[in-house]
Amino acid sequence: MSIITQSIANADREARYLSHGELNALRSFFEEGNQRLRIASILTANADRIVDKGSDIFWQRCPVTPSNSGNSTFRASCVRDQGWYIRLITYAVVVGDIDPLQDSGIKGAKAMYTALEIPLRNVVECMRCLKEAALDLLTQEDKAEVGAYFDYLIQGMTP
Amino acid sequence: MQDAITTLINSSDTQGKYLDDGSLERLQNYFRSGELRAKAAMTISANAATIVTRTTAKSLLYTDITAPGGNMYTCRRYAACVRDMDYFLRYATYAMLAGDPSILDERVLNGLRETYNSLGVPVGATVRAVQAMKEVTTEMLGAEAGKEMGLYFDHICTGLS
Repeated sequence: MSIITQSIANADREARYLSHGELNALRSFFEEGNQRLRIASILTANADRIVDKGSDIFWQRCPVTPSNSGNSTFRASCVRDQGWYIRLITYAVVVGDIDPLQDSGIKGAKAMYTALEIPLRNVVECMRCLKEAALDLLTQEDKAEVGAYFDYLIQGMTP
Repeated sequence: MQDAITTLINSSDTQGKYLDDGSLERLQNYFRSGELRAKAAMTISANAATIVTRTTAKSLLYTDITAPGGNMYTCRRYAACVRDMDYFLRYATYAMLAGDPSILDERVLNGLRETYNSLGVPVGATVRAVQAMKEVTTEMLGAEAGKEMGLYFDHICTGLS
């Protein structure tokens, strides 16, 4: 949920218009919109690069993991999932909320990876590597914005 | 309830796609119009009662509907009508801020036509009143913001007809 739908839902619960404070918060959100779109564009344009680099670091740190066992299906799935997480991160950055991460990336993820016999510790490490690879491309200010969403993912995957 | 941003994200996510150039451009336009939307919401919120009064005067007050036998006759029904006008204005303002009509579908239009039919509320007069509200609002907000609000007033009319 964005700050927009959130403030509207709050106002509607009390059958009132949005207050000046709420509207001013929306104004700041609109003003920062271009920055968020810019960050999302950088991540989108470099998604493959981030995943390649993230995978390299990951397999160096966690050599014993299904995706590095020589099984090409496992490897491809690992790379695909990393791409999906970068995509979800771009959504979260654009909307300014963790909802896309929570709904499409975290709910059920632990159970799924456990069922697939992928060690959660490795999944978490993989997210850390992705984070490093992604933040490398960003300015100091943008790093803080994006890093928080990676941290939320990491937190949500931690066994 | 969706807004201009979450609608695009949800449809991209269902297709497993990044936000494409078209989506990014639409979001840029939405963010750019944010100041206009916030200002319009402030003006409407400060003048909601006036807008409803003017709308009623313009479209309903001096017609048969308020005379004996009309659906707005007796104060109780008159008050219910004014309350509904209030609702339309508030929800259209929410939708305008969100840049998305879904809140109107979910919280206003869902079942409204059936309710009005069962209560004998004439849809034609309601639509005329909502159109009058569009004119009153545009006069107050100016053409640009008025046009944006107009989208959501029209959405209410389409949903009722």
